[in-house]
Amino acid sequence: MIFSSGTAEISPLLAVSVAAEPLAAFLTNSIFVAAVVTGLILLAARKATTNMQLVPHKAQNFFEFVVEFLYNQVEAIVGKHVAPRAFPLLATIFIFIVSANWFGLVPGVGTIGWGHGSGFFVDHVTRPVLRPATADLNMTLGIAICAMFVWFWLTMRELGPWGFVKHTFAPKGGMTGIVALVLAPIFFFVGVIELISIAFRPVSLSLRLFGNLFAGENLLHAMGDLGHTIGLGPVPAFITSVLIPVPFYFLEILVGLLQAIVFALLCAVYIKLSTTHDEEHH
Amino acid sequence: MEAAAEIFGISWAKLLAQVIIFLAVYFILSKYAFGPILAILEKRRERIAEGEANLAKIKSDLSSAEEKAEEIISQANSRADGMISEARESAAAFEEKERQKAVAEAGKIIAKANEATELERERLLAELKRDFGRLVVDTTGKVTGKVLNDGDRQRINEETAGQIAL
Repeated sequence: MIFSSGTAEISPLLAVSVAAEPLAAFLTNSIFVAAVVTGLILLAARKATTNMQLVPHKAQNFFEFVVEFLYNQVEAIVGKHVAPRAFPLLATIFIFIVSANWFGLVPGVGTIGWGHGSGFFVDHVTRPVLRPATADLNMTLGIAICAMFVWFWLTMRELGPWGFVKHTFAPKGGMTGIVALVLAPIFFFVGVIELISIAFRPVSLSLRLFGNLFAGENLLHAMGDLGHTIGLGPVPAFITSVLIPVPFYFLEILVGLLQAIVFALLCAVYIKLSTTHDEEHH
Repeated sequence: MEAAAEIFGISWAKLLAQVIIFLAVYFILSKYAFGPILAILEKRRERIAEGEANLAKIKSDLSSAEEKAEEIISQANSRADGMISEARESAAAFEEKERQKAVAEAGKIIAKANEATELERERLLAELKRDFGRLVVDTTGKVTGKVLNDGDRQRINEETAGQIAL
């Protein structure tokens, strides 16, 4: 059993606790890392956008490449009309998540903190100072809620409340007359299912990202501690703690990028699905 | 639900803190990064389009200028050919005129030379006749032993001059 029922007790099977550890009253280690990542992103953006010129400097060039690439992807999915309004959210989601995911791979994240043992080095860190921001469900749920709010705003702006109701419940495919009347209950039922799926989108988005990153963090810690776990001596355990996690670091780099893409891509698809006018299908 | 929230460490305060952090990134990047970057990308796209249009215009201008230059060169060539043939004709006419002038000059010089020669010949003949008449008078005087007066001399001279057909 991984979780103890009704408590936030850490299971011995997990190297990292499910919940973020508090550093102060309202400050958890993941909030602290999220703030640091935010600072780094804003610092990079400021460096890239200061003294911008038509012939770009290095930072501007890189940032322009990222923005142009993301904009083209967003435009290809949501269309030219919605892209200017959807792009800031989707680009922020991608940049923030990929930065937060990769920041979690920086040495020291999850390994520096308080734990069992004596002296400067502890056997097992139970309260790390730094925890990957996206390995906290509060963060991923927060991003998903923001994304759904922007999705709702864009949908209302494009279709309006009545348009959204029609888009969700009305018969599709240009059906009219008796056929539409006969199929209307089915489409209504499909609409109800659609509403339920919309309601669950923040949950699915946040749990997917959290699950992958939390699992990755656990994987890295488990691989790092493998020498101790199988009972090797101090020196072989140290060597294995350095060598064994290396391939998993590369895997986590890929997972971090993929999860950012998946989150942003799903949000883009949700926006596309709900902002497309029915007549555009024909 | 509460148990799950406790296990995952979800609390309103932490959730709000994370939402605030994300929204801060969202608004700051939207206003101060994506906006200016997209604006400069658009500006660059416009510049490139403008450059492409200018390039096309320059190319068409260049080709029309080349056509014009070729036309001007061919016109200049034909004009130069005309001028050369005109110059040749006028040079030939001038040459002919000068030649005729030279021939006329030469004719005049020859005529003058002939005239001078004739005068010289006549002068020499007159002198010869005079010398010959004096010789005849002197010879006649010596042969006849007679002293010839001026009348005799005059007559002998005239007879001698009349008989000499030079």
